Amino acid sequence: MAVIRDVMPNFDLVQPASLADARKLLDSDPDNVWLMAGGLDSFDWLKDRIRKPKTVVDLTGIDEMRGVRAWNDGIEIGPLTTLTDVVNDPMVKAKYSILSQAAELVASPQIRNQGTIGGNVSQDTRCWYYRSGWPCYRAGGNLCYADTPVGRNREHAILDAQRCVAVSPSDSAPALIALDAKFVISTKNGEKTIDAQDYFLGPAIDITHMTILKPGDILTAIRIPGTWANSKFYFEKIRDRNVWDFPLMNIAAAMKMSGNTITDARMAVAGAAARPWRLTDVEAQIKGKTADEATGKAAGELAVKDAVPLQFNAYKIPLMKNLVKRAISGVQEATWEA
Amino acid sequence: MSPNPPNPQDKLTPEPKLTTTSTPSQMIAATNKVPDWNPNSKGNVRGQDKTYSPDKKWIGKNYQTPDLMAKVLGQAKYAEDFRAEGMLFCKLLLSPVPHGRVRGFDLTKALAMPGVKAIITADDVPPIADSLTDNGTVIKASKWGERALTNEPVYHGEPILAVAAVDEWTAAMAIEAITVDIEPLPFVVDPLDSLRPGGPNPRTDGNVWARPETPKAVPGQPPPRPPDPIVTQMKWSDEDFKTFQDGKLPLAKAPETWEYGDLEAGFKKADLILDETFQTADVSHICLEPRTAMAYWQNGKVYVHSGTQSTAQTLPAIGRWLHMDVKDVVFISEYTGGGFGSKITGGVTMIIPALLSKKANAPVMMRLTREEETLVGRARPAIIGRCKIGFTKDGRITAVDYYSLCNGGSYDAQNDGGSSARIISLLYTAPAMRWRGVSAITNTPPRAAMSAPGGLQGIAIFDPFLSKAARKLGLDQVAIRNINAPEGKALIGPAVNGKRPYVTSCFLKDALAKGAEQFQWSKRVSLPKRSATKARGIGVAISTYNAGSVGFDGLIVITPEGKFNIHCGIGNLGTENFSDVNRVVAETLDMDWNDINIIWGNTSKHLPYSCVSGGSQTTNAMTRAALAVAQECKKQLQEVAAKTHGGSPESHKVSRGRVGGMTYAEAAQAAIKLGGKYDGHEVDPGLNRVTKTSAAAVAGTGLVAAAKDNFAHDGAYMSYAAQFAEVEVDLETGKYHVTDFLTYADVGTVMHPRALGGQVLGRTTLGIAHAISQKWVFDPNYGIMVAKRMYQNRPPTILDVPVDMQWSALDTPDPESPIGARGIGEPPVGGGAAAILSALADAVGDDVFQRAPVNSDTILLSLENKKPMQHPLMAHI
Amino acid sequence: MGSIVEWATNPWGQSVPIHIGWVMIWVCAFSAIAFAVVHALYLAVFGKPKVFAVNDTPEMVNSIPEKVVRHGAVARAFHWIMATSMFTLLFTAFLPKVGVKFDWVTYHWIAGLVFTASIIFHIIHASFFLDFWAIWPDRTDVRDAFRRMQRFFGKPAPLPARFSKYPLENKLYHSTILITGLTAIFTGLFMMKRVNTHNIFTRNPYLFGDMTWGLMYVMHGLVGVSLIALVFVHVYFGIRPEKREITRTMIQGWMHKEFFLEEHDPARWRPGKDTDTPLTPPSEVPGD
Repeated sequence: MAVIRDVMPNFDLVQPASLADARKLLDSDPDNVWLMAGGLDSFDWLKDRIRKPKTVVDLTGIDEMRGVRAWNDGIEIGPLTTLTDVVNDPMVKAKYSILSQAAELVASPQIRNQGTIGGNVSQDTRCWYYRSGWPCYRAGGNLCYADTPVGRNREHAILDAQRCVAVSPSDSAPALIALDAKFVISTKNGEKTIDAQDYFLGPAIDITHMTILKPGDILTAIRIPGTWANSKFYFEKIRDRNVWDFPLMNIAAAMKMSGNTITDARMAVAGAAARPWRLTDVEAQIKGKTADEATGKAAGELAVKDAVPLQFNAYKIPLMKNLVKRAISGVQEATWEA
Repeated sequence: MSPNPPNPQDKLTPEPKLTTTSTPSQMIAATNKVPDWNPNSKGNVRGQDKTYSPDKKWIGKNYQTPDLMAKVLGQAKYAEDFRAEGMLFCKLLLSPVPHGRVRGFDLTKALAMPGVKAIITADDVPPIADSLTDNGTVIKASKWGERALTNEPVYHGEPILAVAAVDEWTAAMAIEAITVDIEPLPFVVDPLDSLRPGGPNPRTDGNVWARPETPKAVPGQPPPRPPDPIVTQMKWSDEDFKTFQDGKLPLAKAPETWEYGDLEAGFKKADLILDETFQTADVSHICLEPRTAMAYWQNGKVYVHSGTQSTAQTLPAIGRWLHMDVKDVVFISEYTGGGFGSKITGGVTMIIPALLSKKANAPVMMRLTREEETLVGRARPAIIGRCKIGFTKDGRITAVDYYSLCNGGSYDAQNDGGSSARIISLLYTAPAMRWRGVSAITNTPPRAAMSAPGGLQGIAIFDPFLSKAARKLGLDQVAIRNINAPEGKALIGPAVNGKRPYVTSCFLKDALAKGAEQFQWSKRVSLPKRSATKARGIGVAISTYNAGSVGFDGLIVITPEGKFNIHCGIGNLGTENFSDVNRVVAETLDMDWNDINIIWGNTSKHLPYSCVSGGSQTTNAMTRAALAVAQECKKQLQEVAAKTHGGSPESHKVSRGRVGGMTYAEAAQAAIKLGGKYDGHEVDPGLNRVTKTSAAAVAGTGLVAAAKDNFAHDGAYMSYAAQFAEVEVDLETGKYHVTDFLTYADVGTVMHPRALGGQVLGRTTLGIAHAISQKWVFDPNYGIMVAKRMYQNRPPTILDVPVDMQWSALDTPDPESPIGARGIGEPPVGGGAAAILSALADAVGDDVFQRAPVNSDTILLSLENKKPMQHPLMAHI
Repeated sequence: MGSIVEWATNPWGQSVPIHIGWVMIWVCAFSAIAFAVVHALYLAVFGKPKVFAVNDTPEMVNSIPEKVVRHGAVARAFHWIMATSMFTLLFTAFLPKVGVKFDWVTYHWIAGLVFTASIIFHIIHASFFLDFWAIWPDRTDVRDAFRRMQRFFGKPAPLPARFSKYPLENKLYHSTILITGLTAIFTGLFMMKRVNTHNIFTRNPYLFGDMTWGLMYVMHGLVGVSLIALVFVHVYFGIRPEKREITRTMIQGWMHKEFFLEEHDPARWRPGKDTDTPLTPPSEVPGD
């Protein structure tokens, strides 16, 4: 049977107006339903006819899952909030500027207008082999085409790769991990709340899924506690083009400071591993240290301790080292020297 | 370096403008301020602020082109926008393998599906007919030529069959219901792999193109045409490949070569000899409009809608592909969403809907998706160039030995290697030069000319070596280019019949000097280059490409109602010269531009023979033709007036829509009465047959003026650009920004400043794309492109070029053309890339990259390891 | 999901197998359980004591020690190392497929190497230091199998002889394990070329074409799920009360003389003090 791409297949489109309705739909036939938010990931899969779900559930009609509101001492973001709305939200800007910065660096204005924060954290990897519909490990097959002696893997993982070397492409996820966000998931057995970093899965644990969402699960809210509000933030994204590009790597850091001493820190990178990679060792190491070049350098070295480069992505090691350093000690903007 | 520190008052860009942490809005804000451009400085007049041709009314002035409103309002109809009653949609089955032989199909399930109306395979596609040159020579169709559908696909994605159905959704399902039995054959995507001993052949009969020797001229006969290249097998030895590991292109046997001057003596004279290898990337054209086509049949005629770079010349191409007489073909193409060389005469795929339409007896629309376009569209071939260059200590080039290996893709010999050598020979005026070249075949999508074919590669490869030499010799970058730049009737390429050809004119040194002043080059040179984490670099490049041709026709009809119609066969691919060149008519006849009606984009409306909009020839070639037909029209008007009202023809002044006392309407009525040469019944026998056919069709409908450009010229038309770039590199991430760019062009007379500025900046950006981002990525094990979506091929975005990008032009008329205008589409492309590459090397050092595009990965890793870390000879990484 | 083999479209659009349908895990597991249940019920309801032709001479009986050694220490050590690696292999292979997610690949291939090494050891040990032929069915086994069959269906037939060192079922089981185990090893070793073994094997995922690789994965999977069933059945017999003496031989090494004389024919198996040394070749059984 010949293969054709880029033509939308047939499916039933269902547009629930409430979470309860969506829940009902999912409970009846969880395995044949595709959940869609902004559609930027979904339409790729659908149009390429690689995924052919019987039913597509368009969540964007569920108003209760949209918008930013106060929640305890922090905020709650509906996963259907567009990235543009996250960028421009006054509460996000005032207390969690790292998130608005991260969200503004996603793709392009058009994509941010359409793409949602829930979609941005839940999107599938962009490995070009996997996205081409090749039967790789992640697609249920028995090979990683990117990690072969001739595989083209410039954009692939240096950490936590286990057979599959795809990376997490999300810009907002590391920021949410740095902010210690909690993800609320509606399952057929009720609601559960988990830490942001536990939302994501590496290939060693589940090679075919990027997140813990199981058929029938919906991400219903992202909650950011007040704990890290207005701490010292750092976000940087390195990409080939200045707009409309996934990160080669990004870093998000939140640090609590006492003078120039780091009293507590949370840090994560995307583009290094299949899941947004939290740097717990670094966090522990820098606690109590001065936020200076030496601390940054040592932290950078520690961050890449277990990194394993592939044929074309060795640059990610110095890149990650330097990004971690900069996250701690800032970009040194000395004056130009002759 | 200046001994004095720069005056802090006029310090340029003392702080980095951008950081990688900048958000897009900060980035725009940072680059949108204009601190570096002092409008009061004498040399600092921007292209858009200059006055051109002050003595002319229409030439050199901005105006609104006749297609503009339709485009802005969304009313312009591109091929995809047409609908016809009962129209079916077509989808293609593309080859899943990079090389294979179709053993059979099972179409039963697909044909049984409701809504599926017809399926065609390669067996339904007529063999391509031989073609006929203007002087009547028959050119045999190549047995290796590309057909619309094939049973032996030679690249992954080549169309194998096409399905017409009531909608695309059904057609796609039909494709999925088809089983194709394909026997995979040996394949290769990296040309060097095919040249290795025992390496696979991309075609069953070989791996490179070779051109058999041209037969000796017979006295008294016209010189014989050089024979077409043929596929042949060529392998290098293990010995040849010894230099591979050192990143040097093997200098093994090459099927093509030329040489002039005394190479050995040149190198003997040299104080510095460089031997460098550099690789450019395969790059898709990425036209916004893919090769979509719609076709239907009516009364034995086929009507085809598609994009093209030449309305007039696509007609015979369709005829040849369909094996039909052109009189039975109507081609409609009023708007084309970009060509860049990929649609010179449209694309062979446009006959697929025509053939399907015939079989299904209904109109058929074939819309190509972006992925399909990337596969069946065209691309620029990558070239690996190795150059041995001799320099005297003052920077003058003494000799050049250049070897090019061109990844020519799956169809047609690509001349980019030879073209790159020719461009190098002109641009750097080497007194002695040798070129050896291989046009290799690979199982990758077909290549075609792309904006400055060979010019981009030659300049991107060669020009940065001048920068390296300047650094080694302690010379200024502008100075070393100035000393080597061509001037006046400079020589180009190898000798033809014992004599090296030359160009019509060249004022590049003038552009270089003015550009350097506008860019404040000497000031920038003296600025500091490094901060703790940043490096800044400036680069300059000189650039050139073809910019004209001669001998095309014009056709004007003045109707008895007084309508002044210029029939125009130029393709409207967005460059606006289908309209710009006709400003010459208004100027010559002293008319109001608004009284002129241009008829274009539909061959049923009787268009004259025009050049293809490739090789940047249109502005030159078609202003000449426009002048020829305007003068013919003026002559006829005056003669008609003289015959009607007496007096000498010259006594009847042609001005403001009147000739003497007659209106154009009256003149046209009189012309019809007079008949003969005045209403098109007699035309110049020297006209092209296309023009003659069109003139015959409009004969008797008014005053018909048809003329051929017979103006004298001496030399080859080339345009030039001096280009200047500044980059800022973040040494900790490898990320860099292009912070400033200026292209100063030598294009002859400026016809339409706004369109010119668009071309200069647009094509400079295309050049920049080759330096900073755009490429293909293939998986070599399967021979399949893995980076095939736009975001993966990474054409640059508006934020990747400086917001305040600058252009200017000399406005010095070309002495060998009556209007003095030349083209500019291609000349800035090569320098766009080279200036960036030179600026980058200035910032981070010479030994960081040996291939383009250069990204943060290359810079970071090479700096970390203190040597180029990407193999310069490996393809598609 | 419901098929024996899972197919995929490879990058060239060809249909190739990629692995077994994971439903086969359940098929094999339930088949094994079903077998055990049916077998246990059958024995409980219809089970009759085994009868053999016995014609031991008193000298022969007297020559048998009280504790008949069946498996020496080395053989037992091998068995349990192999068993451990086998369980590791099965659990790491199939638990993640049925929903227990953990990082399994490294454990799996290390266990695979241990398994392979133990099998290589066993082949050498059994070939040169044990009675190599003891585990292979001989003519008597075939003859007795036929006789038992006839008697089972109530037809008159002479009594079968007692077993040699291993009952026929045991021998057949060993042959099956041998085929599946070696297949798992051979396919598994090739598959080591595909995964990152930290340079123990140089990776070459393109050693074979997609079809060959696919078949290899399918074979590996099929023998893998077969081993679920085989191991289960093996364990089931191991814990059956009437097999306690046999099971003991794999733990303590010996069986009681009574059990030996009941089920084993001293003419066919003359246990020495240490069965790790080869004995006389199998002799023809008297009584024909």
